[in-house]
Amino acid sequence: MAENIFPYKAQKETLPNGLKVIMIPMETPGIVAYYSVVRTGSRDEVEPGKSGFAHFFEHMMFRGTKTYPGAVYDSIVTSIGANANAYTSDDITAFHLNFAKEDLERVIEIESDRFQHLSYAKPAFQTEAGAVYGEYRKSITQPFSLLNEKMQNVAYDVHTYKHTTIGFEADIKAMPEAYDYSKTFFQRFYRPENVVIVICGDIDPATTMAWVKKSYGGWEKGYVAPKVTPEPPQTAERTGDVTYPGKSLPIIDIAYKGDALDPNNRDFVAALLLGDLAFGENSDLYKKLVIQEQKVQFISPSIPPNRDTPLFEIYSMVKTPEDINYVRDEVYKTLESFKTTPVDAARLEGLKKRNKYDFLMGLDTPDHVAGGLARFVAITGDIDVVDQLYKTSDTITAQDVMNAAKKYFVPERRTVVVLKGAK
Amino acid sequence: MKTVAFCTIALAILFSVLPLQAQNMESNNNLILLPVNNDPTIAFRIWFKVGSQNDPVGKEGLAALTADMLSDGSTQKNSYEQIISKLYPLAAGYNASCSKEMTVFSGRTHKDNLSEYYSLFTDAILTPAFKQEDLDRIKSQTLNYLENSLRYASDEELGKAVLYQELFTGTGYAHVDAGLIASVKSITLDDIRKFYKEYYTKDNLVIGLGGGYDATLVKTLQNDLGALPSGTPKAPAPPVPNTPKGVRVTLVEKEAASTAISMGFPMDIVRGSREWYALAIANSWLGEHRNSSSHLYQVIRERRGLNYGDYSYIENYPNGGQRQLPPQNVGRRKQIFEIWIRPVPNEARHFALRAALREFKNLVDNGMTESEFDLTKNFLRKYVLHYAETTMDRLGYAIDDAYYGMSTGHLETYRKMMNELTLADVNAAIKKHWQYDNMQVAIITKDAQSFKDALVSDAPSPMKYATEKAQSILDEDKEISAFPLHIKPENIRIVPVADLFLK
Repeated sequence: MAENIFPYKAQKETLPNGLKVIMIPMETPGIVAYYSVVRTGSRDEVEPGKSGFAHFFEHMMFRGTKTYPGAVYDSIVTSIGANANAYTSDDITAFHLNFAKEDLERVIEIESDRFQHLSYAKPAFQTEAGAVYGEYRKSITQPFSLLNEKMQNVAYDVHTYKHTTIGFEADIKAMPEAYDYSKTFFQRFYRPENVVIVICGDIDPATTMAWVKKSYGGWEKGYVAPKVTPEPPQTAERTGDVTYPGKSLPIIDIAYKGDALDPNNRDFVAALLLGDLAFGENSDLYKKLVIQEQKVQFISPSIPPNRDTPLFEIYSMVKTPEDINYVRDEVYKTLESFKTTPVDAARLEGLKKRNKYDFLMGLDTPDHVAGGLARFVAITGDIDVVDQLYKTSDTITAQDVMNAAKKYFVPERRTVVVLKGAK
Repeated sequence: MKTVAFCTIALAILFSVLPLQAQNMESNNNLILLPVNNDPTIAFRIWFKVGSQNDPVGKEGLAALTADMLSDGSTQKNSYEQIISKLYPLAAGYNASCSKEMTVFSGRTHKDNLSEYYSLFTDAILTPAFKQEDLDRIKSQTLNYLENSLRYASDEELGKAVLYQELFTGTGYAHVDAGLIASVKSITLDDIRKFYKEYYTKDNLVIGLGGGYDATLVKTLQNDLGALPSGTPKAPAPPVPNTPKGVRVTLVEKEAASTAISMGFPMDIVRGSREWYALAIANSWLGEHRNSSSHLYQVIRERRGLNYGDYSYIENYPNGGQRQLPPQNVGRRKQIFEIWIRPVPNEARHFALRAALREFKNLVDNGMTESEFDLTKNFLRKYVLHYAETTMDRLGYAIDDAYYGMSTGHLETYRKMMNELTLADVNAAIKKHWQYDNMQVAIITKDAQSFKDALVSDAPSPMKYATEKAQSILDEDKEISAFPLHIKPENIRIVPVADLFLK
């Protein structure tokens, strides 16, 4: 039996109301990282006109409760010198604080309070909508924001991955009118069965658990799973173009419908490796296009773990528009070669070694440990998937990589979007 | 494969008092050691006392390109492709950071891989090949950044670049570290070889080593880097800033959907002095980076929802949109006070500018209150612990301590000062170092001429909200919207975005 890669012993407990708590004691004197992982992201925005709401709601969670109004919550976080923030993506909303261990009980108190008793008036809700629009405005100047928005819109027909996490601009503009809807969002998703608390660092698990039970024990169940419509299999290639209003080199994004995260799915795990082998920094194509021919600024794969059908993507910024098709065809040629030619065994083992060291070297602070696990927790509800993934990865062969290439990287699963600058 | 190592991995001890030794090398180079015995990794930071302030006129970008040629180019032993292939299985790498006054090569490896990693890392510094194909590739990336990304992809970073450009016109601080477009195009391999020869000497470096290394590595590294040639290049004089008289505004005309604003003025203080830490308290209260409790954030975002955030700084803080905590190894002898207003709707630009300047004026005129002071110093006393949670971060701060000549470390001093400073100290420092009459403002916006007209007229700029607001906010809005800016027409210039960073 192979060793687990995750080097820490986690203690887990689930409260009667369904709230799971994962505690990971670490030798990090004095410091604790506290993550509240809500297993809801933009994936769960099933109602028309409500794209971006999971992210918006992340903002609203800082508006306070009757016991701790927003300003009071802020002053407590300030008084304990915590490094606190939150983020949202397709499958997750995470709230995190990094602080001194003597403040753990206080943090449990204020975090449990806002997750159970969030309370905000309509003007505050509408004001926060303005801040969200501001976040959209600051980001949309980046070419990749436009490119990803277009790619998701073209690649998906019915699944909520059709929209980005920040949401469609029209929906963001309409957010101030959705006060009543926002209340239902909280009632449906901010429930104990849909939340996992991850606590890492200098903690005593027994004491910590007692505090958690005291503060979260009264949280009522009530999670209502959204009816996310599965994306039907794609049957033909799709294409799209988008014009960036500023000046930008062209970017080509070649995406293939993949499989959801499943550590026992050898095709999926092999695809994770294939992305790097074929298009990573050490790949033949990277060396050809970036270093030798210098036709692109970069080429990079993205094989993400997701709850539902994701896009396995290859991005490249091309130096001249005339070379877009050349680069595209080089990507296709590379994928075809991976279907027919077994990858060199040494390169495969080198990548496995890299992935392990990369993972382990990233576990150097409580915040990095909890933050690194959060997405896996959101997708699966647990952290065991990490060990399972690496165990499967250890057994992946050149034949598995060929199988993954044949399964995923075919024209009928493909969407290609090209961004060009207007100037 | 050394799989056993994965089970024995242990973490660096955080925040415990670890020995921080600083001593001189026999070769007269400096050495900073940060041993963390149970850290399974080893961190390197090699600081060369050179930066973009050393760029010759007409060759702006040379320092950064030279550093990139070392970190992203071939060596005499290995092509860049070979280097990538060798580093890849190690999950290790190295990079160069070139700022105004510092160039730092940093890298980290697991102890298991030290021998393979070490030679690649030191070769990059000692035996760069300086190949034309590497220069072509790196130049192309730099030009893409200057021509496209900086001018079009982030109005926030653009605003900050213009602010510094205006405040340091005619000095080595004026241009962005990447350089200027025509200058970068003109840089040759000979320029780079000459620059490397002049500045990459054994007398011009400080070695920083941290983590789970053993004593032999220290000696080996000292000896190997001692192979660099001798030479003590002269540092340029500190820049004399182009301090504005009155409020001076640079409007960058761009087809922008929203307006990004940065503003500030030069200060005569850097970290290390008691007054600097007093200002740090005031600054944190006014605009702690990415912190919702800070005052500007509360006034502009939290109460009015005009944008995503509003912050202030007393030290240069590059790439603020990408980081939560301060960077290391970007030391400067001349710092500015800076306010960063994230993009606001174009129709709110005048109001937002007024709101920020009004709040700043109130702080300068009235100082902090006792309760604000107490809350903020208590916050900072703990918050600064997060600044250096990893060995690499701590090593970065140790290098900065050497740069600023601090015998007691910055973070240790920071915490000590939070216990010692009084409200009177803080308010005195505000009065001494901050003012609001002379301010450079950089604004990225569209219809710049109409904004110029509005600024010159100084007429009220009332806010209109699409949704309900509390009466207290509306009452305050009346004062903000009429807050006088007194900007003279000759103090406003309009620059098309396409004209920026050309030469």
